[in-house]
Amino acid sequence: MKTLSLSSLIMLVLISTAQITFANDGKYMDAMQKNIKVVYTSDSIAELQQAVNTLERIAAAEKTKWEPFYYASFGYVMMSNNEKEGAKKDVYLDQAMKAMNKAKALVPNESEVVALEGFIYMMMVTVDPASRGRQYSGLALQSFGKAVELNPENPRALGLLAQMQFGMAQFFGSPATEACATNSKALEKFQSYKSENPLAPQWGKGMVENMVEKCK
Amino acid sequence: MKTLLTLVFSGIIWTAACQTKVSGTVTNEQGEPIPFANIILVDTYDGTTSDAEGHFEFTTAETGNQVLAIKFVGYTDIFQPVVLDGKAITIQAKLYEQVSELSAVTITAGSFMASDESRRTIFRAVDIASTAGATADIAGALNTLPGTQKVGETGRLFVRGGDSNEARTFIDGMAVLDAYSPSAPNTPSRGRFLPFMFKGTSFSTGGYSAEYGQALSSALVLDSRDKAEATRTDIGILSVGGDIAHTQAWDRGSIAGKIQYTNIRPYFGLINQEIDWDVPPVSLEGIGAFRHDVGKQGMVKVYGNFTQTDYSLYQHSIDDDNLKYHYDLANRYRYINGFYKNTLSEKWMMRGGVSYTYQQNRTNIEGREINEVDKGAHVKTVFEGSLSDKVELKTGVEVINHDYSQAFDEIADPDFTLSFNEVITASFVEADLYASNKFVTRIGARAEYNTLMDQASIDPRISLAYKTGAHGQVSFAYGKFRQTANNQYARINNNLDPEKAEHFILNYQRVENNRTFRIETYYKRYNDLVKYVNDDPLDLNNAGNGYAKGVELFWRDNQSVDNLDYWVSYSYLDTERNYLDFPSASVPYFASAHNFSLVTKYFVQAVKSQLGFTYSYTSGRPYNNPNEEKFNSGTTPYYSDLSFNVAYLPTSSVIFYFSCTNLLGRDNIFGYEYSNQLNDAGQYSSRAIRQPAPRFVFLGIFITFSKNKSINQLPTL
Repeated sequence: MKTLSLSSLIMLVLISTAQITFANDGKYMDAMQKNIKVVYTSDSIAELQQAVNTLERIAAAEKTKWEPFYYASFGYVMMSNNEKEGAKKDVYLDQAMKAMNKAKALVPNESEVVALEGFIYMMMVTVDPASRGRQYSGLALQSFGKAVELNPENPRALGLLAQMQFGMAQFFGSPATEACATNSKALEKFQSYKSENPLAPQWGKGMVENMVEKCK
Repeated sequence: MKTLLTLVFSGIIWTAACQTKVSGTVTNEQGEPIPFANIILVDTYDGTTSDAEGHFEFTTAETGNQVLAIKFVGYTDIFQPVVLDGKAITIQAKLYEQVSELSAVTITAGSFMASDESRRTIFRAVDIASTAGATADIAGALNTLPGTQKVGETGRLFVRGGDSNEARTFIDGMAVLDAYSPSAPNTPSRGRFLPFMFKGTSFSTGGYSAEYGQALSSALVLDSRDKAEATRTDIGILSVGGDIAHTQAWDRGSIAGKIQYTNIRPYFGLINQEIDWDVPPVSLEGIGAFRHDVGKQGMVKVYGNFTQTDYSLYQHSIDDDNLKYHYDLANRYRYINGFYKNTLSEKWMMRGGVSYTYQQNRTNIEGREINEVDKGAHVKTVFEGSLSDKVELKTGVEVINHDYSQAFDEIADPDFTLSFNEVITASFVEADLYASNKFVTRIGARAEYNTLMDQASIDPRISLAYKTGAHGQVSFAYGKFRQTANNQYARINNNLDPEKAEHFILNYQRVENNRTFRIETYYKRYNDLVKYVNDDPLDLNNAGNGYAKGVELFWRDNQSVDNLDYWVSYSYLDTERNYLDFPSASVPYFASAHNFSLVTKYFVQAVKSQLGFTYSYTSGRPYNNPNEEKFNSGTTPYYSDLSFNVAYLPTSSVIFYFSCTNLLGRDNIFGYEYSNQLNDAGQYSSRAIRQPAPRFVFLGIFITFSKNKSINQLPTL
């Protein structure tokens, strides 16, 4: 029932990836950076699948690192986004969920992974909003809430939460005050965001900047 | 020293030179190429992805004994040992399709699944709650599906020519005795369990799993919700009472409680009723639910329902309206259900539970008291898992204890207590055998031993399903079913055999692009039905029998028109039975040949409201006119009803809900009652059984308080 307009969201996710920078550190870093770039920028399912396959190979070899699973999952979300047929979208999202759960098993309290979980739920809504909206938007909200709780500095968790709140406010025709407040907080966090992890996620700023426009 | 250096050097040189080329092709069983398969040299970064023709090629600097893994979504992984020594390796990998939940065929004969969790069901849990005319009653909503016959004066489920007691309800696999609230004679009752409690519903109109016994016609299997996610308080202000509920949620569990008070009196004061109430129904209901996670995937659930309902009314004589009898009912109902599930290993899980139902009906007819007590306990354990990729097994044991008594208080003589006690010990086993994603066979059997008639039995069940294409499938089901005779007969003759039925069902279903089409045909044979010996209701045997056959259609479409969701169902039924006092095989009073429903739900974004209309039609039902020579020769007028509901959401946490049945005000007649004595004209006088009021109007305001403002009670309406 909640027909959140998420179609343009994905594009916005991708815009902010131009300034990706990495510290260079050996074979693992090399391989990761190459493939992270693909999942951030590619819109070809074939390319994405190759990157995801490589990330899964890395994940299988580097048994203690969550980042390969995280980006494999993110890659599947992007594949789902580039797919038109609903049933196939679901197959990719199921794969995204599986990879995300593997990351989650390694780092259950990593805010970024929990935020990604919410993002996958959000994408599941878009496949069939009328029948899934009610349940999956609840799950998405819950994940974003938890992600913010785990790390109040995580700009992606706040940005995605703002998206959900905005959609909800639109649906009920109520003012988007709460959504906009969350969003400006997200923007603030994007500006101050620093991670010691050179492979930390960097996407989502465009989505937040775009909503700043809508909130004006 | 020199030799050592040489050794070290030659080692280095040898390693550097040793690049092994690995190439090959990935295909499926039919030899068709699989692109995008992941080729992994295990525990290294090396590997590649197969191309459009299924080819792959990569070189690796790794050496020695290694394992090459080949993986693709929907197929079983292959692990191939390889020796890397510089010599090129070629591999022809054939992947076998996995039987997966998303692509495998499912058995659909006789079954309507509704689930919030599965994304492939054609009927959802929320559909039940929001069907106009059903006023959030599970049976009311299921009555719009094919396979049901509307029997308006009872409000209960009647499936495929079966009586309402042939349809049994199970919550989390555990039996429920009498799932309906008490109602005045000839007025519809409501289900005791509200649809919002459940995340999934499986409504089977025949051929169901060997797990479910003691049901001749239908198994309604309800799966309760898991732990609540958010702490919240809900208040409902209704035109017929009010309720308050609170849910406390924490990380690993939740506890919820609800108290509901219903008093129809003010409503009846406004709207004239056919019934001469002395004290209209007043009920107080308390519900409690506790949920807690166990381990990684396990869960404990406890649910309790405590209800008391009281009312009294005057029944008027058919012959003389001034002659009336006082009828008073006090109903006490308790239901407790405990459920446990956990995984045993990666492939096996167990679930089990205990349920206990206690129901007391104390009636007082003109000072004559009758006390009826019905108690049921059910204990069950089930193991489920897969023996291989293509074989799934489910097996379990259960014990059902049923204790019934009816006592006349005024007569202390215990001979006037009619009672029975039965203990049923049952075990079942069922296997799903997948030949491929396209074809599945389910074979099962249920063994029972019943102490009441000291009988052991085995009932086979079998179903098949075959995918005819990407969207269509054919399904067949056969099964034997048995059920102890209804309380009112078993209490008279404790030695009655169980009644038996056999189902044959053939189904075709096509789901494409949010549109569903179903057609189903069936034949059902009844045996050992309870029969009066020489028309004496106190002398019973199992000489009755009967049949039912029919064709049913279902169409659902939520694609063609934006924001509109609708379904249409039609059932044709041909049934006759010779049981109880029937002089010969004839159509029972609850059977109607044609049933039609159209359910629509339309969301209007501009006014933030969901509107729903439901139209139902039921052709005339037979009734017996003692003035006629032929039995059951009368036919009532057809039944029709147009209902409306609207849910309006002014903010995200408040809902206004309004519903009205029978907008057109049709005077539906469900049958006729006859006097048991001849009047002056030498005839038996009659009286029509009508709706208690032409319309039922309901207004409610539902408010939710929670930290998360987007939560509301919409899913509960």
